[in-house]
Amino acid sequence: MVKLQINGKTVEAREGEMLLAVMQRMGIEVPTQCHHEAIEPTGNCRLCMVEITKKNWDGWKKCVTSCLYPVEEGLIVETHNDKLFEIRKTILDLQLARSPHSDYVAKMASEYGLEKSSYPVEPQGDDCIMCYACTRICDVLGKSAIAPTMRGHEKIVAGPFGEAPPDCIGCLSCAFICPTDHIKWNDKGNTRTIWDKKFKLIKCKKCGKKTITREFADYLIEKRELPSEYFDTCDICKRQETADTMGALVVKAREATI
Amino acid sequence: MIIDSNKIQKVIDDSPQDKKQLIMILQNIQLEFHYLPKESIGLVSEYLGMPQSTVYSAATFYKSFSLVPRGENIIKVCKGTACHIKGADLIIDQLYAGIGIKPGQTTKDMKYTIEVVNCVGACAMAPVMIVNDKYFGEVKCNRATKLVKKG
Amino acid sequence: MKIDSIAKLDKWRKEIQTKQKAIKTKILICLGPGCLAGGSDKILKEFQTILKKKKIKDVLVESVKKTGCHGFCARGPMVIIEPLGIFYSKVKKVHVKDIIEKTLQKGEIIEKLLYKDPDTDKIYKEWRKIPFYARQQKIALRNVGQIDPDEITDYIVNGGYSALAKILKGMKPDEVIDQVSKSGLRGRGGAGFSTGRKWVTCAKAEENPHYVLCNGDEGDPGAFMDRCIMEGDPHTVLEGMIICAYAVGSQEGYIYVREEYPLAVVNLQKAIDDARKFGLLGDNILGTDLCFDLKISKGGGAFVCGESSALMRSVAGEIGEPRAKYVRSVLKGLHDKPTVLNNVETFANIPVIIEKGADWFAAIGTKKSTGTKAFSLAGKIKNTGLIEVPMGIKLKEIIYDIGGGINDNRKFKAVQTGGPSGGCLPADKLDLEVDFDTLADNGSMMGSGGMVVMDDRTCMVDVSRYFLNFLVEESCGKCVPCREGLFQLHKLNEKICEGKGTEDELKLMENLSKTIISGSLCGLGQSGPNPFLSTIMYFRDEYEAHVKKQECPGGVCKKLITYKINDDCNGCMACLSVCAASAITGKKKEQHTIDEVKCDRCGACYAVCNINAIDII
Repeated sequence: MVKLQINGKTVEAREGEMLLAVMQRMGIEVPTQCHHEAIEPTGNCRLCMVEITKKNWDGWKKCVTSCLYPVEEGLIVETHNDKLFEIRKTILDLQLARSPHSDYVAKMASEYGLEKSSYPVEPQGDDCIMCYACTRICDVLGKSAIAPTMRGHEKIVAGPFGEAPPDCIGCLSCAFICPTDHIKWNDKGNTRTIWDKKFKLIKCKKCGKKTITREFADYLIEKRELPSEYFDTCDICKRQETADTMGALVVKAREATI
Repeated sequence: MIIDSNKIQKVIDDSPQDKKQLIMILQNIQLEFHYLPKESIGLVSEYLGMPQSTVYSAATFYKSFSLVPRGENIIKVCKGTACHIKGADLIIDQLYAGIGIKPGQTTKDMKYTIEVVNCVGACAMAPVMIVNDKYFGEVKCNRATKLVKKG
Repeated sequence: MKIDSIAKLDKWRKEIQTKQKAIKTKILICLGPGCLAGGSDKILKEFQTILKKKKIKDVLVESVKKTGCHGFCARGPMVIIEPLGIFYSKVKKVHVKDIIEKTLQKGEIIEKLLYKDPDTDKIYKEWRKIPFYARQQKIALRNVGQIDPDEITDYIVNGGYSALAKILKGMKPDEVIDQVSKSGLRGRGGAGFSTGRKWVTCAKAEENPHYVLCNGDEGDPGAFMDRCIMEGDPHTVLEGMIICAYAVGSQEGYIYVREEYPLAVVNLQKAIDDARKFGLLGDNILGTDLCFDLKISKGGGAFVCGESSALMRSVAGEIGEPRAKYVRSVLKGLHDKPTVLNNVETFANIPVIIEKGADWFAAIGTKKSTGTKAFSLAGKIKNTGLIEVPMGIKLKEIIYDIGGGINDNRKFKAVQTGGPSGGCLPADKLDLEVDFDTLADNGSMMGSGGMVVMDDRTCMVDVSRYFLNFLVEESCGKCVPCREGLFQLHKLNEKICEGKGTEDELKLMENLSKTIISGSLCGLGQSGPNPFLSTIMYFRDEYEAHVKKQECPGGVCKKLITYKINDDCNGCMACLSVCAASAITGKKKEQHTIDEVKCDRCGACYAVCNINAIDII
């Protein structure tokens, strides 16, 4: 265990734990955008910055992202002060200019007293805040169908050539993890569309409900070594089937004992 | 421009089959065709067993790669600090007047492509222009087009 | 032939010495980038062609040697005749016959090819005496411009690989590190981190393997020292790296070279192949237990790859996006293994430190910045070129004594050091001593050693805009403060250049800079606002002229100036023919005029007018 001080309170933490996790356990709130339990931290948004120092640093302090900074013995951490407020506010101010139509950014910014950006707004700006949550979850799934392309201010998340990503399996993980709902998708009839790619949805043999895409199903069957007909019925029907079989068994057993 | 994908495959096959060599393989393809033909992204991805998006991501991150065909003659105008304060912009203006294209563009007849490049490390003779790997130093703006046409 | 023992290396060195003694006269021809553009390759060929046919005492075809950059680029192409050190500058192919017939055959000096100091009119016969060279002290550049980079024998005859032999003969790895630490050598790439401390941390790291990387991604615009070392003396980089590998226990290394330096790649590859052939790289180097091999990794054109974590990702074949480094790269570097990453010039110093000792090196320069530093001099300075000077030398000495002062004897305005991460220092800082800490304390930084001199015809607001534009293009785009912050900072700067900026926006820029500095993920963003901050610190009056009066004192910002032809015009038609906007009218030999409405302020007319008949208002 490691002992450190956060906002004046001494706390214990496991070695290797990140500051943010400790802070969250203590109920300290700092804004974050790119942090998510399901994926590795990368420190893109910089909002969770805290100021750290140590007794022997002669008063020298530095700002670090708490999502990436592992706890250290004797570390003194400040999570809220004027400097950090200014950094968070400026970051949100910049995002207001870049993503002027995003309710998500607007809401966070308003908590810092920002109603409109101090910078020239880009009317064409989309809602992507480049947190990489989508590409990281796609990496975790083992597909990496989308990736950050180009660089600098022109950077966008996309498939190769901005076209339908050949490796996409339509699992929707990216759309669900996206904090700003920038990644659009829809299911119409038997077809799912995401990233300009169309997928056939599997229809449950029993109830006819649409479940997941054929590509996603095949991927799971291969990865998890599931029986090939596994996705032919939906979860509810599968459960119902199990209940029916079990019920029949119970009835049989009861009859047998009588 | 049609590029035979067998030719691309040949370049790829001559390179080590190692994910670490991704950038080198792309460089080899570009060396052969002066740009990265669209098919090459898929072929490299197959060869190295990595997602196409990763290959495309690298091809768009590094500035030296071009995904569009480039002209027979590549004109590079250095935009290092010394070249900037000694009038690199004038060269660009004069080339536009002379051959009708701006940086990043290629003439319709595919003869010339102009590129603005980061400091080429020849600052002592700024401003510098490079035509097909031949360096021209202390370029006078009114001579730029002539130097290009002479090659 | 494998050199499989230290004794064999010594013997080989003696053999080469004897062979080279036969060549009494040497004709060194600089093939550095400057001289090459002036046609020095043709000069080289001409010498070889004529000498093949002629018999001259003490002169053979082998006397003609191509070398890397000799330094005095402003006077190139240059031909140097040793051992007398005769320095012929601005040589053309037509002069070669003369040089051979007069100087080589009869010992006569061709005066018109000698260097004449424009201020004193003094003529110099020998290059070492020219003020440009006289103040220099060469350690990292000791061989550059003196030897043929393609010939391993040239390196060896000049004491090459003897430092390697010395450590293999009788120094333990920690003794090597001790010497490097004691020498006080600090990283020449810019940040100035202690090289010894880096090595000791890597050597002690328990995880294996250890890697040695050389950063040859000289991305700072205005810097070309590393290029000249890699092209002109590649073996010194190799030797420095092999010594490092021995000290930190590494078997594998990479040299990362930016793709803009194709010749550096060729020369380094030749050096690596030769070193391998002779047993100086590979298994059992010089017959000892040391095994180390090297590969070149070519960059793809991304400035951010000079940043250590981005460079390591690039070497691993990934995109060069930096990672937050809360565990230092010396412990978790390439492939997450302990890695020493040093810059080209740092490695070039190592063999000399080992050979001459830490105390010798530490006595040069200042207490906290020991040794020498290579600089490239460029911009509006007379003696552009490559120099190496002891740390602690005054800026003034570099710019005036070595650099010869400002072009056309105009007024000095600023010197830019440290590239996009550095800053601009004004005239009242010319007395500053050049070392890591003094430059940093004054709002600039050493950087890798590029010095770009600016005169009164440079606009500092435009210089800031230029660097911010560069950084916006080179930002990897991963974190918000750098991607969006630098983008907005550049846009606001651009507005000022157009005369549309406000005082409130200047304040906004200063505040925004603070967040970019403390909020960004890597060094690119953290130092990104420096061009703006250092120019507004020393040249606030210029910013205010743009904002309050819509004036550009430097006469650069297009929207704020007009060009006018004055009475000196002799009607030579030069400006007219270069005007792309057809804004200039006038007959031959009569005064021309510029139509202000048509004129797009490109400045071409001003640039081509040889008699100063165009004013900027």
